[in-house]
Amino acid sequence: MTELYMLPVFGIVITLAAFIAARALRTKLKFVLFNPVLIAISFIILFLVLFDISFDDYNKGGKYLSFFLGPSIVALGVLFFEKYKLIKHNIYPFLLAVCCGGIISVLSVSLLTIFLNAPDVIIKSIISLSVTTPIAIEITKITQGIPALTAGVVIAVGIFGNAFGPAFLKFSGIKSETAMGTALGTAAHGIGTARALEVGHLSGAYGGLAMCVNGILTTLIAPYVVILIVGSA
Amino acid sequence: MSHRSLKINLKNKNAFKSGLKMLKAFLILFIFLGLGELISSLIKIPLPGNILGMILIFTALKLKLIKLESVKPAADTLLNYLILFFIPFGVGLMSYFDFIKSYWLILLVAAGVSTLITLYVTALIQQKFEKND
Repeated sequence: MTELYMLPVFGIVITLAAFIAARALRTKLKFVLFNPVLIAISFIILFLVLFDISFDDYNKGGKYLSFFLGPSIVALGVLFFEKYKLIKHNIYPFLLAVCCGGIISVLSVSLLTIFLNAPDVIIKSIISLSVTTPIAIEITKITQGIPALTAGVVIAVGIFGNAFGPAFLKFSGIKSETAMGTALGTAAHGIGTARALEVGHLSGAYGGLAMCVNGILTTLIAPYVVILIVGSA
Repeated sequence: MSHRSLKINLKNKNAFKSGLKMLKAFLILFIFLGLGELISSLIKIPLPGNILGMILIFTALKLKLIKLESVKPAADTLLNYLILFFIPFGVGLMSYFDFIKSYWLILLVAAGVSTLITLYVTALIQQKFEKND
């Protein structure tokens, strides 16, 4: 007999339940750590660890939900078109901000890992930490790092940006919602963009395009920076 | 009696029509995703198909090859639940517990500091140079 948790329905049910519970909690308690992504993920990991269920068993169902990430990224193109008129007059400041942000991200993470004396494999794996997971994994394949580590760190960065990004930016004196969206999309890819969408649809559009532009930019520069630091890729 | 059933029928018809619209919108989105994947596999550029699909659908809308109304229902639905689709990826973090245990401080400092710097620099430049509406 197949155990119930081995069926795809388990992963789907537990994810939906955790998501709905996390959202309900969010409407009751507006505290930064009650971020729906963070809470839902913590609920699920706790449950899986408590009942000794492997990630692979969970992901039999989970993958049906994460599958929709692909069409959702295409949907961001639609959202961007909708808001393009509003962005158009700011396209040059926007591109300047994303390109500077993307280059700073690659350089700062490289310098920090060198400074912290990290093994080469960490530099190779996390240099693309600010871009969306599928692109980051492609970059890690080029730089010959560990794709699994890339995925882990990229998601962690996304959750970090999603949970603390807006509060940190407000604290640093950023008032513009669109600047917040651009920053979230550049530094924290899709998970950050999800938060930018909560700030506002326009903010989400800036975030979505920032994620796309930074993904392309980082793919172009990261492999060369790794060669510069490690000597070979 | 017959008047009432006609009314219900009309309601069903409208529901059916909007359902069909939604399906068509999803069909178009998936076609663009497929096109992106196809191009990504044909030419060896390290850009995933979904990002290419995003660029393609934007271009198609800009060139008026497709109408905004024909894809908007599906796009809005997906974006409403964007957070949900990320959750399984996040749960995947549990597979890296051992590696994180050995290098957690390096990873935390490098990723945390770099992310904050990137957030701040990007937002600052955009805020400084953007024209306010």
